[in-house]
Amino acid sequence: MSSTEIIVNGVHHLVDADDDTPLLWVIRDILGLTGTKYGCGEGSCGACTVLEADEPVRSCQTNLSEAAGLSYTTIEGFAEKPGADACQSAWVEEEVSQCGYCQAGFLLEVWALLGRKPEPTDDLVEKTLNDHICRCGTYPRIRRAIRRAASSRGGK
Amino acid sequence: MSTTRREFIRVMAAGSGALVLGVRFCRAGRFPTEDFRPNAWVRIEPDGTAVIQLGKTEMGQGVQTSLPMILAEELDADYTTVRVEQASPGPDFLELGTGGSTSVMTTWEPLRHAGAAARAMLVAAAAERWEVSPDSCRTSQGAVEHPSTGRRFGYGELVADAARQSVPESPPTEDRSRNTIVGTARKRRNAADIVRGRAIYGIDVRQPGMLYAVVARSPAFGGEVVSFDDTRAKQVRGVREVVRITRGVAVVAEHTAAAIKGRDALRIEWKDGPGASFDSDTHRVTLEQATETPGVTIRKDGEGRAAMKRAAQTLEAVYHYPFVAHASVEPVNCTVLVEDDRCEVWSPTQTPNTVQRVAMAVLQLPDTAVRVNVQLLGGGFGRRLNYDFDWEAIEVAKAMKGTPVQTVWTREDDLRFGHFQAASTHRLIAGLDTANRLVAFEHRKATTPHNIYRPPTPEQTADPDTVRGWAWGVYDSPYAFPAAEMTYAAVDAPTPIGPWRAVFSPSSVFARECFIDELAQTCDRDPVELRLDMLGANDASIPSTFEIGEDLVERQRMRRVVETVAREARWSDPAPAGRAKGFACNVFHTGTYVAYAVEVSLRQGQPLSKLPFTVHRVVCAVDCGLVINPAGVRQQVESGVIWALSNLKSEITFHAGRARQSNYSDFPVAVMDETPLEVETHIVGAEAAAPNGLGEPTVCPFTPAVVNALSRLAGKRIRSLPVRAADVSSR
Repeated sequence: MSSTEIIVNGVHHLVDADDDTPLLWVIRDILGLTGTKYGCGEGSCGACTVLEADEPVRSCQTNLSEAAGLSYTTIEGFAEKPGADACQSAWVEEEVSQCGYCQAGFLLEVWALLGRKPEPTDDLVEKTLNDHICRCGTYPRIRRAIRRAASSRGGK
Repeated sequence: MSTTRREFIRVMAAGSGALVLGVRFCRAGRFPTEDFRPNAWVRIEPDGTAVIQLGKTEMGQGVQTSLPMILAEELDADYTTVRVEQASPGPDFLELGTGGSTSVMTTWEPLRHAGAAARAMLVAAAAERWEVSPDSCRTSQGAVEHPSTGRRFGYGELVADAARQSVPESPPTEDRSRNTIVGTARKRRNAADIVRGRAIYGIDVRQPGMLYAVVARSPAFGGEVVSFDDTRAKQVRGVREVVRITRGVAVVAEHTAAAIKGRDALRIEWKDGPGASFDSDTHRVTLEQATETPGVTIRKDGEGRAAMKRAAQTLEAVYHYPFVAHASVEPVNCTVLVEDDRCEVWSPTQTPNTVQRVAMAVLQLPDTAVRVNVQLLGGGFGRRLNYDFDWEAIEVAKAMKGTPVQTVWTREDDLRFGHFQAASTHRLIAGLDTANRLVAFEHRKATTPHNIYRPPTPEQTADPDTVRGWAWGVYDSPYAFPAAEMTYAAVDAPTPIGPWRAVFSPSSVFARECFIDELAQTCDRDPVELRLDMLGANDASIPSTFEIGEDLVERQRMRRVVETVAREARWSDPAPAGRAKGFACNVFHTGTYVAYAVEVSLRQGQPLSKLPFTVHRVVCAVDCGLVINPAGVRQQVESGVIWALSNLKSEITFHAGRARQSNYSDFPVAVMDETPLEVETHIVGAEAAAPNGLGEPTVCPFTPAVVNALSRLAGKRIRSLPVRAADVSSR
């Protein structure tokens, strides 16, 4: 059987699985990178968000065949992205996380948002993050962390 | 408190090279009478680090941060060198559950005494070596010092000698005014791991050669497998095995996706059980009927409902609360390895002892052969006090002997087959005299008691003391009534019913606090002033405290949070145009007092999946007693507010014994644009001698505060959850 090549955090992998296998489970169960989380499997919670190049995508809605040859960054490789540290530090400083399970998805989405729009309005933040779910209710702190990350990135 | 320290602290494992204290914790003020058996351990290592080993699962509520703070304060240790080690069940750990917002309140006293005892023993060891009086020594950040000679030993250098000292009867505890750790804001211990993807939750457990499983369960409650055909499932690439377990058929595969695909390919013939006709609409009618007559009396003030006869008029309202799911973002999962004579379990559980007992029963193994490793939880909320997912995973692994298997519930499984917060109906009746003064009050609750462990017996559901324990928010209403009767009626349902965040309280507090608002409207009173009256603010004959069941309700603490919120929210000022204010308060089962004032406006044109209103401002006052970590308090208030907002928008409904909802798209929870920009929290009562819990109490009064505001905006009372656009369409 043929195998599919994907690149995750700069590492090339040959994956033996059906074409319709969601990238989420390839990353978690086959490659063993568990920082990318399963939450819904229907693209409504955002926990499985990864970056394809610099674009956030739902790994549960991306099939292996669609991922062939593409390069992905997960939370484990996130620190290599320019400006990632500003987001991670802001998250720690604003004490965003409670259980923390959903936060990788938020972080990657926010990093991409700040790349497109260094000073996003509240409205844009809401539109961008409305399909991310946090059951611990960390949204007010995520808003604050975004402002903090934006100002520290702007200051660089 | 007459109990001495020796009753809950012992030196253990003398000669191990470390100073090890066995600690017994239990609910504040309630000490065990049986022989000493520790259920937590404090260990000071030869390198000076201190480890608290106990069974309190971290699920975002912050126990791995707050408990080390308590120990470090009294031990006078460097806080960064104190950590929590999650205990596993075994002969030393008989009670490891985490629930009911009790972790801090039950461990506070024993941990600080253990810290103080260890410090005194370390000082005694140093004084012995220096041949000086212990009184001439002092401690500082993990070391004993002899100031007059400038000598110093790190704690690690003293542990072996300290272990030979006897536990002091009453070692001095830190003067609270000199606290440097307790009461200061500390960051969550694992915050840096979380943002780097290094926090390992239950679903992230990986073992060599591990496989993954999902389970096909009866679509309707209580159904059974008649037959199944796994031919196509076994043809799915990556599927290794299909195994029959008690609750259904499991597909075991090389990865989760293959297991799910294999499950989709199964052909199963099910036989419906008695639960297959269950319908939540019909059930709601049954619940309402059950409130038409009073149930089992769980509180009676004065003449009780007999006083209703004297009322010139009555106000009566029926409130409905739906079934709801937990929907924590990490679905339940459990990884198990079964071998010939042993079993190892990795579970994100709130109840590891139960998991161990289930494994022992399924596998016929002794407790010494079953190890349970408690994992970090991606949200607990009471869902993981159930052991259904562990049980299934143990059965799957039993069929796959020698191979570790992770059994995962998909989101659909979670919303259809987990346990739920019970639907309930509340009938509230107020009797008023001709001058609109309250003369009698009734609160009748009808609901289904927890049935996931052992369904209650008819004797239990008829016993007032037992039933009272299921009726938080009803019997412990903080208000004083000239006469009142609270009752509870148990109504069967085939749906699994169990703990949810704030357990029995949310529905009761929703109904009670909305009805108090109705009462205020009827009597033309301000709802805050009416509450303060009923809490004795203007009547010295109303006792400032009262006991009911096992609870002590302190009205003066309730008044203080009510007054604080009213002041900080400028309650008496009119709301800005287009907005309305709402208020509610509650004392939670743990003795935690919370009040909210909110400002809400209607939001037109929202899709059904969105809240039809906006919460502009939230002011909260909380009295959770002594505060260990104020940063944790603020997080729990925000968390409770947003949890309650989800409660206002989603429900689980059943038809033909099946949940209609299956994922976040039809069980929508609150998202960013539905949640307030900020939550203003005022902590009061932090000077108290001991802490109360906070993981759950902040949930309860938020829902009625919002509904009270919405009822004003809509010009009609809203008495049912969730709140839909049609419920708030204007008058």
